[in-house]
Amino acid sequence: MLKHESAILHVTGEAVFVGDMAVHMPVQYGHIVYSPWPHARIRKVDISAAQGMQGVSAVLTWKDIPGTNQLGPVIHDEPCLAQEEVMFIGQAVCLVAARDKDTARKAAASIRIDYEPLDFIPDVEISIEKDFPIQMPRMILKGDPDRVLKQSDHMLEGSLSTGGQEHWYLETQSALAVPGEGTGMKIYSSTQHPSETQGIVAEVLGLSRNELVVEVRRMGGAFGGKETQANHTAAWAALLAWAVRQPVILQLTREEDQTITGKRQRFLTRYSVGFNVSGELQALDVELNSDAGAATDLSMAILERAMFHVDNAYYIPHVRVRGTAWMTNKPPNTAFRGFGAPQGMAVIENIIDRIARYLGKDPIEIRKINFYNKPPRHLTHYDQAFELNRLETIFNRLTRTASYRMRRRDINRFNRDHEFCKRGMALTPVKFGISFTTSFLNQAGALVNIYRDGTVFISHGGTEMGQGLHTKIIRIASVELGIDPEHIRIGPTSTAFVPNTSATAASSGTDLNGMAVKNAIDKLKQRLSVYAATLFSASHQKPSEAKHIVFRNGQVSDSKDTRRSIPFHQLIPLACREQISLSATGFYRTPDIHFDKIKGKGKPFHYFALGMAVSEVEVDILTGAVRLLRTDILHDAGKSINVSLDLGQIRGGFIQGLGWVIMEELKYDRQGRLLNCSPDTYKIPTIGDMPGEFRVELLKDAPNPNTIRQSKAVGEPPFMLALSVWLAVKDAVSATGNHRFEPELNIPATHEAVLLAIEDIKQKNRR
Amino acid sequence: MKKKSHVIRFVLGDQPVTLDFAREGILPSTTVLNYLRLVKGRTGTKEGCAEGDCGACTVVLGQYSNGSIDYRAVNSCLLFLPALHGKQLITVEDIADTDNHRVNLHPLQQSLVDHYGSQCGFCTPGILMSLFALYRQPGIPTRYEIQEALAGNLCRCTGYQPIQEAAEAAFSNKQTDRFDRFQGKIITFLKEFNETPEDLMIENNGQRYLRPAGLKQALEWRREFPAAVVVNGSTDIALRQSKKHEMIPEILDMGAICELKHFEHAEGYLRIGSGLLLEEVRRETEKIFPALHSMLGLFASRQIRQVATLGGNLGTASPIGDMLPFLITCEAALTLSGAGGERTLDAEEFITGYRNTALGQDELIRSVTLPLPKPDDHFRFYKVSKRKDVDIATVSGAFRLRLDKGTVTWVILTFGGMAEMPRRAFDTEKFLKGKPWTREHILHAMTIIRHEFHPISDARSGAEFRKLAAANLLMKFHHETVTGHVET
Repeated sequence: MLKHESAILHVTGEAVFVGDMAVHMPVQYGHIVYSPWPHARIRKVDISAAQGMQGVSAVLTWKDIPGTNQLGPVIHDEPCLAQEEVMFIGQAVCLVAARDKDTARKAAASIRIDYEPLDFIPDVEISIEKDFPIQMPRMILKGDPDRVLKQSDHMLEGSLSTGGQEHWYLETQSALAVPGEGTGMKIYSSTQHPSETQGIVAEVLGLSRNELVVEVRRMGGAFGGKETQANHTAAWAALLAWAVRQPVILQLTREEDQTITGKRQRFLTRYSVGFNVSGELQALDVELNSDAGAATDLSMAILERAMFHVDNAYYIPHVRVRGTAWMTNKPPNTAFRGFGAPQGMAVIENIIDRIARYLGKDPIEIRKINFYNKPPRHLTHYDQAFELNRLETIFNRLTRTASYRMRRRDINRFNRDHEFCKRGMALTPVKFGISFTTSFLNQAGALVNIYRDGTVFISHGGTEMGQGLHTKIIRIASVELGIDPEHIRIGPTSTAFVPNTSATAASSGTDLNGMAVKNAIDKLKQRLSVYAATLFSASHQKPSEAKHIVFRNGQVSDSKDTRRSIPFHQLIPLACREQISLSATGFYRTPDIHFDKIKGKGKPFHYFALGMAVSEVEVDILTGAVRLLRTDILHDAGKSINVSLDLGQIRGGFIQGLGWVIMEELKYDRQGRLLNCSPDTYKIPTIGDMPGEFRVELLKDAPNPNTIRQSKAVGEPPFMLALSVWLAVKDAVSATGNHRFEPELNIPATHEAVLLAIEDIKQKNRR
Repeated sequence: MKKKSHVIRFVLGDQPVTLDFAREGILPSTTVLNYLRLVKGRTGTKEGCAEGDCGACTVVLGQYSNGSIDYRAVNSCLLFLPALHGKQLITVEDIADTDNHRVNLHPLQQSLVDHYGSQCGFCTPGILMSLFALYRQPGIPTRYEIQEALAGNLCRCTGYQPIQEAAEAAFSNKQTDRFDRFQGKIITFLKEFNETPEDLMIENNGQRYLRPAGLKQALEWRREFPAAVVVNGSTDIALRQSKKHEMIPEILDMGAICELKHFEHAEGYLRIGSGLLLEEVRRETEKIFPALHSMLGLFASRQIRQVATLGGNLGTASPIGDMLPFLITCEAALTLSGAGGERTLDAEEFITGYRNTALGQDELIRSVTLPLPKPDDHFRFYKVSKRKDVDIATVSGAFRLRLDKGTVTWVILTFGGMAEMPRRAFDTEKFLKGKPWTREHILHAMTIIRHEFHPISDARSGAEFRKLAAANLLMKFHHETVTGHVET
């Protein structure tokens, strides 16, 4: 199996990140001055002291923006530099460039901004109360939930809060802007979306896109946090470089990054669910409220994906989902692995567990009878048919390999024997729709060059953030061209090589770009096949036909007569002499997907990615500490292009999800300040938080039709497998009251939340 | 009088380096991370947080010790340059054998590649260096020891399992590496550097950095420069620079004083020099004081413990600090050295308020004397934190109990995180004394704890949780003493 394409560079420290490039260049250091107020009017900005400081090359305010003062990627509602009003703590007001970081910081400290603090909206609850939706609410309706809810055997109502999450990519946001000749500029950016970064910078500088090149070699992690918000850093660096006519590096410190960038949206959900005596779901009415922050960013698309995933893996005949994204005075929240789906799925998974507790059954029995199934129980609430449903296969195999039923008995016994220590277990599924739900985004491009020595250079629209996309592309190209991977190199992602790309997001990197690369290679192979056929025909009586030419094992051969064969690297220089073009662009768009946002119906997804996890935890009843004893995962990655990379995504996604459900917490003070804006108080999982036993497997024999090499996207779906940990903790907490009470436990179930939930059950027990 | 030097000498990789701060125009308290990246152009070492929490900047220090080299992983973002004096500094660039663009990977590097131990690659150099330090130690580490060595390295991509697998595979087939080859040469350098201890006084860019080689000089400088910030390990003070961007005009760095690095185990007590690294305290107490040993296992990360010292930790007088509650419960005493000689102070008296101590203007912490618990004493230390590893306690409790036929004859209950400084639960102790050690009394004692403390709500938790957890720890203590059973 192919190793990660950058692995050797990673382990030797040679791999170059944006911040490293600047070290070897005569750069100015950029710095931002941001608002300390969640909402305030700017009365006056005095930059004179900073301007006069030695070593300072530029001090900018919104007045110095040559183009449009805008950063909003979808809706233009976020200024690049605040003008008259600041809307959140961390909003950029001024920019400084200086010869070194200390000078830049000193200059920034000398800037006097006179703010008039205004009332602010600290959270979703207040925004709902004051009615500040950031855009029009959305709805998806299927059947008649109102009527059916009333007629159900049982009905439960409740609410759930799922917390925000900081991306904590190891490499903070960074961009290096290098002015070129005339009005040209090249920007090395740690961005998931070079084309959009190019577009935003063009607008801010008042340039056309062809004057800018945005290039990405690699990112030190992104997870959605660099889908739109890398644009900010790039735009600020570009503005400074434009002003000083010198390269400018801007890399946020960790604290700046955690303070000023958006996060996963906190969701506040209310629901009513109707079900029958056996626990079969009959109707669901859900209201999703998300914390958009101070600007729209991607919050509407995220809200939509949450709405698409409130069913998760379950067929519900009558559904109403209403969704509203609310304005708050926080940094605009943004994409984060799962893109709303975790928040949506948490609701239904919690409901299923609640039903099980209510009916006194094991939750897996409730899950099993509600899984999507054969028609008519295969239609989602937005009317997409769920095809290739492998839920039952995965469920049966995983409950067996994880010894679910036996361990359930062991846990019950353990809990009887231990007063201050309880164990819990949960199985949760994931059914995650693959495609950008804004259908036109499902497109990709690629450039493939074959050089005279037979080596191949590829650049495609996807960016490498660690996920192994480039490695998979090399594998795809190697198989398609029938040559050794070592003859293929992936160049940096650049707007000069491939224009008008979509973000590397929505788990679609390989699906889209792999197909685009294949498309380019198909064109090249077509040209080469015609030539090879001519070449072979010259020396034989019976001519070769282009359609029979195959590319395998470094050879180009006639499949009808394999003696007619020439090594690939020998064919190429000959083709070159014959004036055959050895460079091709490729393009791909996902077929047959559409969605009507007004009606809430359509086929938004190309297919669904599936997986399930069983997690078992032990909870210290006196401290709330959670220990994850074991996790078993069975995941459907289709016919995997690279098993190790796919396992890497599953394990990594799961641990990131683990952080979200039990550990990572955002707390704000009354002034709206984020209290945990550094890693000493914002805790992400360490190696010690890995499950004691961590068994991850891919589902075997599961090809996925109509995708690149029959594979499935794998980036985001595993994140949500961590819901099993949350519900296992709930199960353990519930055991303290012999499962008679529903634990009041939201996400994140931190040690504090766990202890308070246990205390709450204690109180109920006493009554 | 010994020569006062303003130049430091160390080995970078396998090459000796002489660094003259004035000539090169470098601020003495420049961090090793910034020096590597900005001065030496060694960009393999990364900045992930600049506060010692992520480990992306991990480098390895080689220290000469009894004819060989002791390799320690440390956070370069919290290390001031003068701390390199007389040591070997190894970074990610040094690990592979590179010969004219041909790279022969170190077995650890190869294993990380083979096991897909890197995804984005940003944390990888730090991970590699933590593992490399472990690799240079004798023996094959267990799964737990590997996790312990990596607890201070955050990775957001892999979920750690591939890293764990890569490490296990490399360790199970340990080979010699290039560092074995040139170890002799390095030892010669380091021996030479360390032959005559030098007092360092570096003055440049408006900063005076003092690094005495002996206690006498340290006390003299303490008197002469009373405003100098005393540093013994720098893992806390460095944050003022790396995070708050403060310029500290005068620094008195105690890190080179051998007299402060002793560890003495005598009948019934331990005496530990204030300059002993916390990791060394941990190592030394594994057999003789397991409670202290395991407490230090959850104290920050190995990278921090290999720079931070006992004295440095006490000097910061953190309101939480796992060490102080522990020492108070042990009835430990601090020996302070000053102009007028030495004096001894109970740990409890030493701390006087939020980040305040009884340390005099001319004094320095010399050592800590720690009576060992009696064989019949019940002694427990509990730490309640959001994350098990590398997290500051929300609440910590150090408890010690003596029973006579089931009745409490003697008890000390000290809590961290419950007040502006570590504090004993005097009311609760008073209530329990003379009472049978029964659940009924514990339940009552728990209500007293809840009343005698008034903790705050902050980034770590709410006040209510702190009260609840503190009271529960007493129940946990009771449960464990009665059942003899330790749960999690």
